Amino acid sequence: MRRHSRRIFNICYRFTGNRTEAEDLSQEVFLRVYRTVGSYRSAYGGFATWMTSVTRNLLIDHYRRTKRDRITDSLDDSMPVVENKASSARRPDEQALLGELSSQVQFALTKLSPELREAVVLRDLQQLDYSEIQTVLSVPEGTVKSRINRGRIELARILQQMGVRAS
Amino acid sequence: MNWTCEQTELYLTDYLDGMLQPEQQQAFALHVKGCARCTPLVSSVTHAIAGLRALPELELPPRFVYNVLDATLGPRETITGWAAVRAWIRGIASPRFAYGSLSLAATFLMLVTISGFNWKKPKIADLSPVNIYRGTNRQAHLAYARSTKYVSDLRVVYEIQSKLRQDTGLPTNNEGVAPDSNQQKDPGRTDGTNPATPRQQNRANDTNSHLQMLAQELPVLSGRFCFVLIEGRPR
Repeated sequence: MRRHSRRIFNICYRFTGNRTEAEDLSQEVFLRVYRTVGSYRSAYGGFATWMTSVTRNLLIDHYRRTKRDRITDSLDDSMPVVENKASSARRPDEQALLGELSSQVQFALTKLSPELREAVVLRDLQQLDYSEIQTVLSVPEGTVKSRINRGRIELARILQQMGVRAS
Repeated sequence: MNWTCEQTELYLTDYLDGMLQPEQQQAFALHVKGCARCTPLVSSVTHAIAGLRALPELELPPRFVYNVLDATLGPRETITGWAAVRAWIRGIASPRFAYGSLSLAATFLMLVTISGFNWKKPKIADLSPVNIYRGTNRQAHLAYARSTKYVSDLRVVYEIQSKLRQDTGLPTNNEGVAPDSNQQKDPGRTDGTNPATPRQQNRANDTNSHLQMLAQELPVLSGRFCFVLIEGRPR
């Protein structure tokens, strides 16, 4: 359970970008799994894939439910901006810089549309292969590829707007 | 193969995941190399993917698993009073805990004994850290002195035994099974001459009397070992 719960919590956090929401959603995932475990069939895929699918459905439900409440900040006024190269070179602690980069990437991730975000999270963070993502998202493989491709390009564009440049 | 910027954008993920055909892969790379628009695109997407994969995996909140168990299986019963005490005793009565407790107690007893605690006349003052330190220090020095003396005594015995065997022409090792290829030589002599036989006998007699004197003086020589040493000597 601990292995699955950590993975589910990370998916939820990367999707929502909020620790408290991620914790609540992860608990909800386990409640739903506990109630509906009887409906699990091995033909559907591995148990982990099935749990990921349950998580994804809950995340999309949550996204739709909170869409109206969500304050959509514009990209310019709330995004954390990376320091320019000269000032970052003065920073001695590379770990702090890495942590800052992580928060930039996390912020950019939450700016993606939910369809692109889930595809990118499953592919690049959870390292699932295309067939597993296809099962989780219940879309054809071509759509999976297209979403991952568009998600990555969009993410790179947002990061560029934030001032994060490829070294 | 002619490659366009639109194709680059369309097949970027396939290219990065190595899913293009070799000729497509080659055409893609060739185009990106010479295209001012596609080079930064590929570079920035590669950088974004690297940033995503470098994101650390977060640890679970501390009570997450318990919260899930409470939510699914129901809250655990909380017991108080004597029931809690009985449950605690049941918990420590497990074999693993008992083994750990015994080991701890044995270690404690050993340390207290080493520190010089008198079990026949126990005193609370002996358990104070200062006294424990002093007692341990004293015991350690005593043990070191005894072992040094023992090693020194043994060295004397072996030196005497070695000397006796040299005088009588026997092999210097205890078993006497390994033949010495150069038994005729006196190890102390470098001129290659052998001592005369009467002188050798006289020296042996002297050594025997010295050994008997030493046996009376040194406690380690007064035991059975010395007896064997002396009695075992060929006459």
